[in-house]
Amino acid sequence: MQIRWKVVLVLIALVFGVTAFLARKTATAAPQSTAPAKAAMASAASTDTSLSIPDTTIAVNSSAPLSQRVVHYEINAKYDAAKHIIDATEVLTYHNLTGQPLDHFPFHLYQNAFQPNATWVREAKRDGSRDTAYDKWEAKEYGSEEIRSIEVVGQGDLTSQLHYIAPDDGNKDDKTVIDLPVAKPIAPNAFVQFKIAFHEQMPETQARSGWKRDFLLGGQWFPKVGVWWQGAWNCHQYHATTEFFADFGVYDVKLTVPQNEVIGASGVEVSSVNNPDNTKTVTYHGDDIHDFAWSVSPRYKVRESTYQSQSGPVKLTFLMQPAHWDQAERHERVIRETLDRFEKWYGPYPYKTLTVIDPEPDSAAEGMEYPTFITGGTNWFMPDGVHLPELVLEHEFGHQYWYGMVATNEFEDAWMDEGINSYTEVKVLDSILGKDKDILNAAGVSMGEREEQRLSYISVADRDPMAENAWSYYNSNSYGGVTYGKTASVLLTLEGIVGEDTMNKAMRAYFMKFRFTHPTKKDFLDTIQEVSGKDLKSYFDQAVYGSQVLDYSVLSVDSQPVNWYEENKDTNKDKKEKKGGKDDTLYQSYVSVHRKGDFAMPIEIEIKFDNGEKIREHWDGQSRWTRFSYVKKAQVVSAEIDPDHTVQLDRNNFNNSYRVEPSAKATYKLSNYWTFVSQWVGQALAWWAV
Amino acid sequence: MSENPSLFGSGLRRVMHNKRYIFWFWLLNLAIAFVGTTALRESAHTILDHSLYAENLTQGFHLSAYLEMVSLPNFGASAATISPAVYSTLFFFVSTILFLPGVLLGYSSRYRLPREDFFRACGRNLWRFIRLLILSGIVMGIIAGVLFAINGAIVKGVAENTNEVLPFELRMLGMFIIFLVMTTLRIWFDLAETDIVLHDQRAVRKSIGAAFGHTFRNLFRLLANYVAVTIVAAIILIGGIWIWNRFLSAESVLGAFVLSQAILFFLLIPRFWQRGIAVSYWQQKMLAPIVAPVPVFNTSPAPAATLPDLSPAPAAREGMA
Repeated sequence: MQIRWKVVLVLIALVFGVTAFLARKTATAAPQSTAPAKAAMASAASTDTSLSIPDTTIAVNSSAPLSQRVVHYEINAKYDAAKHIIDATEVLTYHNLTGQPLDHFPFHLYQNAFQPNATWVREAKRDGSRDTAYDKWEAKEYGSEEIRSIEVVGQGDLTSQLHYIAPDDGNKDDKTVIDLPVAKPIAPNAFVQFKIAFHEQMPETQARSGWKRDFLLGGQWFPKVGVWWQGAWNCHQYHATTEFFADFGVYDVKLTVPQNEVIGASGVEVSSVNNPDNTKTVTYHGDDIHDFAWSVSPRYKVRESTYQSQSGPVKLTFLMQPAHWDQAERHERVIRETLDRFEKWYGPYPYKTLTVIDPEPDSAAEGMEYPTFITGGTNWFMPDGVHLPELVLEHEFGHQYWYGMVATNEFEDAWMDEGINSYTEVKVLDSILGKDKDILNAAGVSMGEREEQRLSYISVADRDPMAENAWSYYNSNSYGGVTYGKTASVLLTLEGIVGEDTMNKAMRAYFMKFRFTHPTKKDFLDTIQEVSGKDLKSYFDQAVYGSQVLDYSVLSVDSQPVNWYEENKDTNKDKKEKKGGKDDTLYQSYVSVHRKGDFAMPIEIEIKFDNGEKIREHWDGQSRWTRFSYVKKAQVVSAEIDPDHTVQLDRNNFNNSYRVEPSAKATYKLSNYWTFVSQWVGQALAWWAV
Repeated sequence: MSENPSLFGSGLRRVMHNKRYIFWFWLLNLAIAFVGTTALRESAHTILDHSLYAENLTQGFHLSAYLEMVSLPNFGASAATISPAVYSTLFFFVSTILFLPGVLLGYSSRYRLPREDFFRACGRNLWRFIRLLILSGIVMGIIAGVLFAINGAIVKGVAENTNEVLPFELRMLGMFIIFLVMTTLRIWFDLAETDIVLHDQRAVRKSIGAAFGHTFRNLFRLLANYVAVTIVAAIILIGGIWIWNRFLSAESVLGAFVLSQAILFFLLIPRFWQRGIAVSYWQQKMLAPIVAPVPVFNTSPAPAATLPDLSPAPAAREGMA
């Protein structure tokens, strides 16, 4: 009897096991099927009570952990600087807070993206990327990340169970996600520990990771487990336009590098020990972060200082290229001013460190964010009026908030980190460097960050919505224009709708509520609606979820005497001249405004009359056009849509206004430039050729 | 008076004695460019003249407003707007080929060259200049191509050097060397052009050969003069733009026009100055001595005479007859 029941139980378990296996084969990193999960619950691995995630606060200015810590990575890596190889062991402790047993674990192996048939390279070749067009494949571009062994504590070596999956595009040659089924599912609230040995061949820098000359940026360099999010594993392949998504936790990383290397990394440095073989082992610890990056170069020059944040002292470390040493102060100044504004406007910076890397010139390592660790981008020749270093540093620091702490899913909601960050970038840079000149202010030419964001958007205005998977955009231009430029423009326009103060409150509320979590787009949009008290659904439907284009224009402006039909009437001009500039004629004026695009939203129109009078009109923008009519002893001088210039989303700013008396000043000015250049080129050609 | 007066000074004197050439070339340069930029101007009129947003281009220069304007569909396709401006630069280049013989003849003359002589020289030498242009284009193109390739290879070779500034320094050094070589070639072909006009030389290859020998026999003297004049040109351009940026308000359209045209006017002078140097050199060194017939009854030798410094070449005069 007992034997019979055991046989039945074994058969049931077998059936469910096979079902679970098949489900995994078809859905790869998709959510675990409920039925096998429930069945597996019964046979889940017993909790190893000796495992836990540390509750250390060594790297944060806080007495208690700031995040719900899911992972603890202990990595011991050795870097071969000559071959650009990393050999490492990784102990990952994972806390199952999903509320259900987990029978498989997907891992990111990001460095495998840099292989000719990988999805990343295919997409970059097809759509372009900011790093390389892959006109021809070069061996130095090859990167790989190989798990040589993986053991699940208590379940033995499961290396043979590893298999690559491609949940996004089914590319069998893509090895950026690997899945590990575990023999015994991990019960809810239990811990599981993975012991991994891995080997990495770093590529020449691509996608802000890799080596250049004697420099290395170690980003996305270790096997990283996916995120259980919204009831499923979220572990996407690495795409040319995607970034990352990971759980918060604790990092203890030992890096063994040649002794001549200057090193910087995420977290705080705990120790540095010289080894007999001319290497040194530097140990770092990070709390409440979700990634770990590091960089070495034998030529870094180091600048250190302390910033007093709201939470406590922050050690600022700048690792500068020798040729950029004279810009170190410039780097520090913009970081300090940015920190000031972020703390004042959005919330405290809680970490004890911030490491700023000035990466190797001509590398694809410029402008990248990792927790407490960012890379800038400058050149040995950088005039004061060209604010590119400030732009990059502010942007990457902003990611400490919008990615580092508010850890949105960069694969699926790229606009929530890049776009929100671009919006705050406009605000902060406007504040530091001045509106309309925070990118360029030299030789009489200026360019503002908010307009730069808008320009990048209007070039792809009708291509893709913001709410789109990062890899699903038409191409990299569309991805960039929409996730960065459109989002910034949408939020700046929103600021005009709800008011700047309200928007600031909403942004602060969003940060404070969702820091150290993985908020969704709904979380963000709901926060703004709650704080503003306005129904913004129509705006969000068009701006965030749609690809409608906003373009209002002044269609016509006309003023005619009311009694135009009377004979022998003087012309308007004659009348004015006769009466010494005073015109008693009664005029009928019309101003027509046109909604050219399919994006409808209320707008303001300001009409100016020649007696100095100004009238502001409000139009709900729902119909295609509207006409305003006036009978006054004055003629219309000009009409302007959005006179306060808050609608950043408008595709064409030039047709937003109409002045009755034309002014060719701008045309003549440009004409002079064009003529000058044309003449000079002609002279130069004649100089050398004849 | 020195037998070989300063090329630098005599070249400039020729330009100053014939200022009208500078004026006419400047006017031609302006007229061609003005016509060439008409499409751009018309496109700008349609977008800017009635728009208040255009103030971003008059009160300062907001680059974003400019970029937005040129990206608008109603600004027109670049082929329709920019191409005429590009062609206008080529038209000025062709005009220079056409009128340069007259200028060279004028520079060789002590007196104001009659208009008909000027145009006759232009027409007479047009085909010769086109042939010379083709030859010089081949020579200069090949040498420039090789030098730029070498420079590029050197820079690429140090691209992985850890001294970030080294590639830039090498590129600049390479550019300076290329500039000297190309200036040398320019001297060669300038002397050839001068010889063609002033010797009324139908066989272009003979002028090229003679100019080649003279260029390399007197390289330092000629190169020093040409480089000095080029430095003057650089000072005019950089100084003019500095004044434009420093002293003119962003809203001053008329002031900017006047200053920009002054820069371009003065920028024409150095190139004509180099032509003046070439003519001076030709008259000093390349003009063949005229030997008077020697009477059989007179045992004393007839004096060999060169033409006065600033008189037209007899061959040229003969050609004009």
